[in-house]
This record gives sequence, structure tokens and C-alpha cells, in this order.
Amino acid sequence: MLLSIVSYGLALGAVYALIGITYNVMFAASRVFSFTAGTVGMLGGVFGALFIARLGMPVAAGFLLSLAAGALLGVITEVLTVRPVLKSLDQHLYVLSTLAFALMIQQLTAILWSTEPQPFPRLLPISPGVFDQQFWMPLLACATTILGLELLYRHTLVGRAFLAIAEDNYSARALGLPEKGLRIASYALAGVIAALAGFTGGEMMLAYFGNGPLLNFYGFVPVALGGMGSSRGAVAGGLALGLFQQAANFLVGGIFASVAVFAVFIIVLLVRPEGLAGAATARRV
Amino acid sequence: MRDFPRAPIPFARTGGLARLEGSLPLLVLLVGGGSLPLIGDSYLGVIATRACIYWVLIAGLNLVVGFAGQIAIGWVALLTLGAYVTSVLTAGSVVPEQSPYLALAIAALFGALFGGVVGLPALRLRTFYFAMTTLGFATILTQVALAWKTVTGGGVGVPGPVFPWPFSSPWGFYYFCLGLALFATWMTANIAASRFGRSLVAIRDAEVAAEAVGIAKPRLLMTVFLFSGALAGVAGGLFASLQSYITPDAFTFDLSVLFFIAILIGGRGSILGPLLGTIILTALPEFAAPLVAWSTFLYAALLLVIVLVVPGGIADMLDFRNRRPLVQHRQVRPQPELIARVIDRDAPSNLLALEGLSLSFGGVRAIDNLDLEIRSGEVHGLIGPNGSGKTTTLNVISGYYAPQQGQVLLNGKRLQRAPHTRAKHRIARTFQTPRLVGAASVRDNVMIGGTTDGRASFVESLLSLPRHRREEARLLAATATALATVGLDPLASVRSDRLQHGELRFVEIARALMLRPRFLLLDEPAAGLSGEEIKRMGALIVAISRQGTGVLLVEHHADLIFDICDRVTVLNLGRVLASGRPEEIRAHREVISAYLGA
Amino acid sequence: MRKSVRINRRQALVGSAASAAALAAGVCRPAIAASEPIRIGYLPALTGPSSSTGIGINRGTALAVEEINKAGGINGRQIELIVRDTQSDPTKAVNAATELTRRHKVHVIWGPLNSGEALAATPLIARDGVPQMHPCWVDALTDVKKYPLAFRNAPTNQQIGGAANHYVVDILKANKVAVISDTTGYGTASLDAYVPMLKKIGASVVYQGSVESNNPDLKPELLRMQAAGAEAIMPWSVNAGFLSRIINTRADLAWDVPIVGQTTLGSGQTRALLRKQEYWEKVYPNNFRNCSYNAAGELPPRTVEFVERIRKAGIEMADTLLWWIALGYDGPRLMADAIRAAGSAPEEITGYWNKVSEWPGVYGTITWTPELHDGFQANEIVMCQANSLKEGAFTLAPGYIG
Repeated sequence: MLLSIVSYGLALGAVYALIGITYNVMFAASRVFSFTAGTVGMLGGVFGALFIARLGMPVAAGFLLSLAAGALLGVITEVLTVRPVLKSLDQHLYVLSTLAFALMIQQLTAILWSTEPQPFPRLLPISPGVFDQQFWMPLLACATTILGLELLYRHTLVGRAFLAIAEDNYSARALGLPEKGLRIASYALAGVIAALAGFTGGEMMLAYFGNGPLLNFYGFVPVALGGMGSSRGAVAGGLALGLFQQAANFLVGGIFASVAVFAVFIIVLLVRPEGLAGAATARRV
Repeated sequence: MRDFPRAPIPFARTGGLARLEGSLPLLVLLVGGGSLPLIGDSYLGVIATRACIYWVLIAGLNLVVGFAGQIAIGWVALLTLGAYVTSVLTAGSVVPEQSPYLALAIAALFGALFGGVVGLPALRLRTFYFAMTTLGFATILTQVALAWKTVTGGGVGVPGPVFPWPFSSPWGFYYFCLGLALFATWMTANIAASRFGRSLVAIRDAEVAAEAVGIAKPRLLMTVFLFSGALAGVAGGLFASLQSYITPDAFTFDLSVLFFIAILIGGRGSILGPLLGTIILTALPEFAAPLVAWSTFLYAALLLVIVLVVPGGIADMLDFRNRRPLVQHRQVRPQPELIARVIDRDAPSNLLALEGLSLSFGGVRAIDNLDLEIRSGEVHGLIGPNGSGKTTTLNVISGYYAPQQGQVLLNGKRLQRAPHTRAKHRIARTFQTPRLVGAASVRDNVMIGGTTDGRASFVESLLSLPRHRREEARLLAATATALATVGLDPLASVRSDRLQHGELRFVEIARALMLRPRFLLLDEPAAGLSGEEIKRMGALIVAISRQGTGVLLVEHHADLIFDICDRVTVLNLGRVLASGRPEEIRAHREVISAYLGA
Repeated sequence: MRKSVRINRRQALVGSAASAAALAAGVCRPAIAASEPIRIGYLPALTGPSSSTGIGINRGTALAVEEINKAGGINGRQIELIVRDTQSDPTKAVNAATELTRRHKVHVIWGPLNSGEALAATPLIARDGVPQMHPCWVDALTDVKKYPLAFRNAPTNQQIGGAANHYVVDILKANKVAVISDTTGYGTASLDAYVPMLKKIGASVVYQGSVESNNPDLKPELLRMQAAGAEAIMPWSVNAGFLSRIINTRADLAWDVPIVGQTTLGSGQTRALLRKQEYWEKVYPNNFRNCSYNAAGELPPRTVEFVERIRKAGIEMADTLLWWIALGYDGPRLMADAIRAAGSAPEEITGYWNKVSEWPGVYGTITWTPELHDGFQANEIVMCQANSLKEGAFTLAPGYIG
């Protein structure tokens, strides 16, 4: 039992962490949280099942196509729901536009794909075991993403440009950085990360449209608790969440497990609104 | 440059057309809803009943989402609670059977309580975070309903309450729900037209300014959450009766989405808009059968379109009055002589003193050992290069920042770091960038300034009791006077976001005047004004100070400063460079080299 | 020329193409007699988590209506089948039922086909005074006093549970039982009914729980069953995904216990979701005598003839269950018989039904009295072997004589 808790917990936690990183990347590029983070994650799983299981493509092709689809959706998110709203005075509109878009995608998936969870294909032809691919794949994906982002932000010009746009939008533009292009690229990257999360987590979570709101919430918890903007906080938060959730699942049972997670989330936020690792927000006057 | 035709101080907006406008939602409901039985189709009656029930909940949620601007998405939780409480109390299997009316009242109580709980995070969390917590609450409640089998019946569910004659027949029940919907409309319309409604909108769109006029956000938000929760609880009980049997899967995320979207499609800050939104969204799936499966998709698509194209929603589309073109090239002409009607000459003399104030942001010393005194009846200018700490000083006086050293003293008493308490000390201010509610009229924006004068409670406003009405009338009259003083009375009904930049500055001054301030802090009021307007602004400020108000004027327009100020203090890099009478400062060598130029 | 019978509006989004075609073909016929059509309100769940029943039953219903209409209708009146997909949602079932009774003023209602939806809709249908026939199992769904116009043409939970529990405890000799259901009205009601029944026949229930049907990971539940020493798993749900996951997880744990329970365990939909076909061994769902192969490997003659008819009509059997199709076929025919013999007014229909004795359905033999509106006979319930599925029917479970 303990082994199951740890393996499932860490694996799911890695998926949640990846969605948390998606939120962070989107936020870094636009100062906006998008409800589409979890939805694109869900589509990573659905597309994987669609391409590989239903259409019979080879695993690698299906994988790349799913990531590409994620990137595309990230770009559409930016163009359709974020950019028009950033221009307006009312900042809270972004919550609504991204929520509307996420809902549309979800309902479309329910109608066109299925209202029921569909099986996700086995990716590597290795038979199941204790250290099964459904466990180490998300963890591998998470580690790769962290390392990749670190490399990107610290050692490449493009990455530093991303950071510049996030830190001080006006100065960056004054310096001539192409803000719009960089933001689109950021969102595409975020979409890829989300699709990666859904794809590697597909065997555990199945291809199901209801995973959208699930990932939205569980992916947000690491961000909220680990502090906004901190990728390391997101990973720590995600893994902790995964372990906590699975422990509750195995020991107490499904219903109470989700209640426990929500309750802890709300209580922690009430006590420390900026998260456990984040800094208090600067004054707005 | 045209002058606006000078109109007499307009009659307070209480009679005739304004009242009709305010009661439009009620009329729609009464006439439309009342005549429905004449059509005879009893299935239409079911849909209409459902719309009424949803509206009872949405009317309350409207105050939270539309007026206060809180993104409360998971509100179906309260519908669930109300439905189960009512059903369990009338079923008689867990507790002795109660009358359905009593059960409904208890559901309202539970709803209020839980509404407060769900709303609690709103006081501390930012928008997106709060939205997530409401989703969390909705899920928790559904899971509890599933798990607590002994009370809720778990997956099997419970039968809903049945109301006795005359509400037991379908049409009878329809009238019951219609009546409650009318009541909810009336109450929320009353709140919308009260200082509570205006305060909510102020919190939503101009939170910093709201604090400055004395609006206490936590208390107001909590009140609204409690009220909204109560309405949702009642709606839940009615819903259970309409369904005749409830299970946890009746309370889907789709319903939450419907409630939320109806308000946004209708337009925030409106009653009529969300009412129409509710009717449309409830009736939409009925027009074409295939639409039912696509209904949530359509709602979401509609929301996206509204957000991108007409963020103001239906209310905005129906706002014909604010589409009438305004006269171009307007000039503001204040009437300083009217100031005596706004501010009484205060006999005792007050002193606002800053002693040894120091404040750093990180490594930057924003203010360094600042001493400053503002006396009643005096105009004290504060000048200096950009970044010298002028606005920061204002913000410390206003209470937004606490100094690391030193203190702010009003007549010897220390002022705390609590911006919303400044209003009761009658310290008013304007802001460097005008902070107004763009979607509200000029009049409403100025009325916000008089919020702290109101004594009527939330309930009195809810039920439009005499004290509330008296205070509203008084407030309207005072607002009219303030607007006339600053010369904006012809534009009183115009939406603020249609005004020219300079006019916005005068609106802020009118709002500040509503406090009958002892001290008035002005942050670059002349920025963006034409030469003529600056002169008139100067005359107005002088008139204000002659009534006994102490004015602290932060400005870049040197001419204005030297024309009207009694004393001038010059800041540089957070430190006082010089302080004294205008002629002294003008000739001061360091001041000239640091700031004024030759 | 009077307008012909209206085309059904809310078509299923996920449903057999054959059934849709059959439905359309059957109903778009010019009226032979110029009298009002018989309106049957039909409330299947064609989409959603509990749609396996609706999809299967729908095929039989469509066929029956088509045949009756082709043969001239009921006393010259054509049947107009007004379909409303409840989407497995009790709320939508309520809305749809109200629309059928109030706006369309149907003569009789067939459905809802799932207990959760019927629990919500039946009181409303009763309140509006419309005769109702439904195949739902939860015991509370018939009550001659509360719902005098509601009749059940399928077994009750008591009957089903009795057979399954008897097989587990008395024949398989498994005394420690784990009972698991989904969180629908049907699942929870079944769980609540069966646990005491098991205890009464001397079994010990070492695990009981309700899990959401879309939960992707059932390992925690099965591990807890295993830890408690369960010797048999009894799942109660009509959700194919949920049931398939139980079967898959049992194999993942390499745990050799029998799975005995809901008929959907044997449906083609469930089979399609199994990771390996071998996993389907030692799975024993309920089934019905008329839809089971006897010792000689034959179906009863009535069923053989029915299977022929289905095959000719091109109706798919492999991804569903024969008894659903048969049940769907019987429902409208029993309604037609009542209206043909007695008339289309509510009391005429129910008056006929109250006297039905041994009505020979393909699915089951129905008998109703004014005191008992549960028409199915307990002795027609059997246990069968899931992996013996052939053309929608099964062979009896090992050791089963009953």
C-alpha cells in the first residue's frame, strides 16, 4: 500500500506540478492567470488517446502532434482571450475570457470525444510493473521541463527576454524587445508544457473531459501554495499535493480525500494569502 | 472654446423619469411575468418558474459579482445547501417535519451563514485565487451531500418540499416564485440605488479611492455575502420544490456557470441587465431541443463574445442615454462662490503635522526626516523634482503607508495606518491619476464621497425605510451643490469614462468636497488642464481654503504654486530642501538649481 | 393532406446509427387513418455515464415502434415516439418529463431507463396523471398507493440482489464479501439494499463503498478490499468504464477472486474497455433466463426468433446486451396491446395493465395485479458467465442450477 501511495502520489504530483508551471509561464508573460492551463492539460491526454489509440499513429508521432496541439491552443489563448483584455482598463476581465474559452473547449471535448473517461494507450511496450512507465514518465517530464526552463531563462537570450518582459514590461519594450511576439512564444511554450503533463499522465488519469477542471484546480494549488512565479515552489507544492491526496485516497477513501485537499487549500490561503513561499505583494497605490 | 450653458442647480433626481428607470426591472417582471398564465401553456409556466427561482439567487449574486466585482463562480454550493436544508426539514425522516415556510426561512439562515464562509477568502485573496476557492466550496458541498447518506440520502437523494395550497398547483407555485422574485428585485434595486450599492461599485473599480472616502471593504463585502447567501438558500428551497426530488447530481458546475454568466451578460452594476440575462439563458435551451446538450458551450461562447465586444453587457447596449453625443471642447467653469454652501466656516483651527517622517522602499529612501505643517485656512504647496517623495508623502498622510520613523499628527493625535479612517477625520484627497468609477455617472462618483455621512443600516436601505430615503435625498442635494461648485452640474448624468481628462480632476475635487474636509490633499490637480482651467482651479482652491480647509497642494505648475500658496515646501530626494513663503522659495538658490531653473 | 407523423427532435448524439435510421424510417410514414397519433413519451439516457442501458434499450424500442407502425399502427393510429435524452441527469429527466406530460400531453411514458432519473421523474409523472412503464430496479420506484399509474416490467433490486447474493454465498461459498457501487441513485440504493440482504443470509460484508464512476484509479479501493480479506467483489453500476476498471485493477493486482454483480459487467461496452480479454474470466453478471443459452447451448424459441428479426433489421448486438434490446422491444408492445384492447385514456391503459397475466415478452413474462406493479418473475433471473458472450447472450455460470 505504501508503495502505491508513493508512486501514484509522486507521479500525479508531477502532473500537477507541470500544470502549475504552465500557470507560472503564462503569468510571467502576461501577469494573467488563465483557466485554460488545466484544459490544455486535459487535451494532452485526449489528443494522445485520439492520435495513438483511435487513429493508430505511432507513439512518437502522436506525442509530437499532441504537443503541437498544445502549443497551438496556447497561442489561441493568448490571441483570443488575453491580448484583447490586457488592453482594456478592467483587469479582471481576463478571468472571464479565459474561463469562457476553457469552458468552450471542455464542452466541445465532451460532445465530440466522449462524456466518459476513455482508456489511454500504453506508450512503451513494457508490461506493467512496480516502477511502471505511468509513474516515471510524468516525473521525467517534470524534471526535463524544470531543467529546460532553467537553461532557457538563464542561458539563452530568448529566455532572458522572457524574464525581462515579465519583470518590467515598459522598460523591456523601451529597449526594443518584441513584446507581442515574446508573449505568443511564452504561451506556446506554456501550451506545450500543459500538453506534456496531460500526455504523460494519460494512463493514470484516462482521456476524460472532466480532467479539465480537475487539473485547473489541482494545478493551481501548487502555484497558490508554493508562491506565484516560483517554479521550484510549484514542483514542491505539486509533489506534496500528490502525496497528500493519494495518502488520503488510500487511507480514507475518495470522497473525503478531495474534501481534505480543498479544505487544506482554503485554510492555507486564508492564513497566508501569498502562499507558503511567495512574497507579499507590493502596494498598489 | 465653448462655455457650457449655465443651468440652475438641477432638481434632485428622485422623481419622474429616474424613478421609472429604477423600477424598470420590477415592471418587466410584473407585467411580463404576471401575464404569462394568460398564454395557458403550463410547460411555459414551468420554465418561467425556473427562471424566477434562478433570478432570486442571481439577484443576490449580482451584488457580489456585478456590483462588488468578486468572481464567485461556485455559487451553486449555496443552492445545494438551501435545497437540502429545506428538503430534509420537510421530509420528517431526520428531524420532525416542519412547515415548508419555516424550512425556507431556515434555509435562508443557513445560506447566509455559508455565504459568509464562502465569502471570507474574498477579503484576503486576489481575484483568481478567490474564484478557485469558490469552486472548491462547491465541490466540497456536493461531496458532503453524497457522503452524508443518513441525512441527505446520498446518491439516492430526497424528495423536495411541497408547499400547501394555494401554492401547490403549478400556477400557484409559479405565483409564489414570481412574488419572491419581485421581492428580491425590489430589495436589490434598493441597495443598488443606495450608498451600499455605490460603495460596492467603488470597491470594484476604484478600491484605493474607496478607502480614501471611508468605505470599509471587509464589513461591506461580508454584509453582501451574507445577504446573497440568504437569497441563494431560499432559491435552493424553491428549486427543490420545483424538481420535486433532488440528488447531488442536480447541482452541476453547469448551473454555477449559468448563474455567473447571466450576470456578466446582463452587465455589471445593473439590475435590469442580469434579469434579462437570466430570462434569456433559462429560456434559450428550450427553443431548440438539440441546444440542451450544447447549452453550456453556448453560454460560454456568449460570455466570451460579451467580454471581448461589449464588456458592459446588455445593460450597456440598453444605455441609450449615454450614447447621446456630448458637446466638444468643453471648458470647466467652477463657481467658487458656492463653496460656502458646501463647507461651513469651521471656527476651531486644526493642525496636521508630519514630524520626522522617514520611509524607505527596499534600499531607496523615499522620505528622509520630513517635517511639515498644514494649518486650517492655509494653502501649503509641496514641490520638487520627480521622485522626490511628494506623492509618497501624501500616501503616508492618507494612511496607505506607515512611516518607519516619525508620525502623522492631527491636532496632536497620532494617525494610524488605516486609509479608511481618514474620512471620519475629514481628511480628503485627490489622486495623481484620477481614480473614479468609469462606468458610473459623475453624480454617482461624487455621491460616493458622502458615504460616511450615512447612518442608515443595510437593512434600512434594503427595505427603503424612511431614514434611508431621507439620507439619499440629503445626499443628492449636497452632491448637486458640490457639482455646481466645481462647475460640472451640466455633466452630472454622464458616464465618467466619457469625460475629458481635466473634467475628471474636477470630479475628484467635488468628491473630496463631499467630506466637508478639514484638510484637503491635492495630488497634481492641474496636470492636463488648459491655462484658463488652471486659473479657475486656483481660484477654487483659494476659495476652499478661505472656508477654513487646510490644503496641501502637490504640483508641478510653478505659476499656480506661487500664485495661490501661503507656504511652500520643496522636497529633493526625500529631504526638505527649503520651506517658507513663496517669495523666499522663489529666490532660494538651491531650489533654483535643483528644480526651478533660472 | 394532414401532416405526417412528426420527426423526432432530440436525436441521440451517441447512439447506434442503425437505430437512428430505423427510427426515422419507421416514423416518417403518411398517416393511414385521419386520427390522432398515439404519443409515447420516451426518456432514455442516450449520453452520459449511465447511457449503456439507454443505448441498448433504444434499439429494441425503435424496432418495436417501426414494426407496429408498419403493420398499421394501433387501431389505425400511428405511434409517435417523442424522445428526450435525459443525459443520465436526474434534473434533465425531470425537465424532460414535465415537457412530455405538460406540453406534448403524451398518452403514456416509457422510462426513465435508469433508477436515479426515475426517482426524480416518477413523482412528477404521477402528479400529472400519466401512465408510466419503466424497467428500473430500485425497489421504491413502484408503489401502488403513491404511484398508482406506474408499472415496472423488469425485476426489482430485491429480486436481483437475491439471485446474486445467493450465488456468491451459497454456490461460490464466499463468505467475506466486498460490495462496491458508483454514486448514482441506482448504485447507492443497490448498495443500501444488498448489504443487509447479504448479512441476513450469513455473509460478512468486509468492505462497502460508493465511488464516483469517473474515478480513474480504483486501486486504493481494491487494495482495501484485499486487505480486509474479501473473497468476492460485487459491483453495482451500469457504467461500463467503472466496471471495466474494476476488472482491470483486479488483474493488475493479480488477485484471483470472482466478480459477481450487475448485468453491465457482461456488456460488449465493458469488454471493449478491458485491457486483455482474459481478464473477463471469473466474472459472473446477472442475466435473464430468456436471454441465456441452456445446457444444450440453445436459446428459447421466442428469443431465437427475435434474434433473427434483429439480425434482419441490421441491429448491432455485439457492443451491448441482448436483454436490453429485448426489454426495449417489449415495452412499446405492451403499451400497444393495452391501448389496442382498452383505449388510450389513462384509466383505460392502467385498467388493462392491472389485469395483465403472463404476458409473453421476449425478455420476460409479465404479470401485474392491482396490488403489485412489479411484473417480472424472480425465477427468470439467472447468473451467467461474462466471457461466454455470443450475440448478446450468455451461458449459465458454473455451478448454477437455480
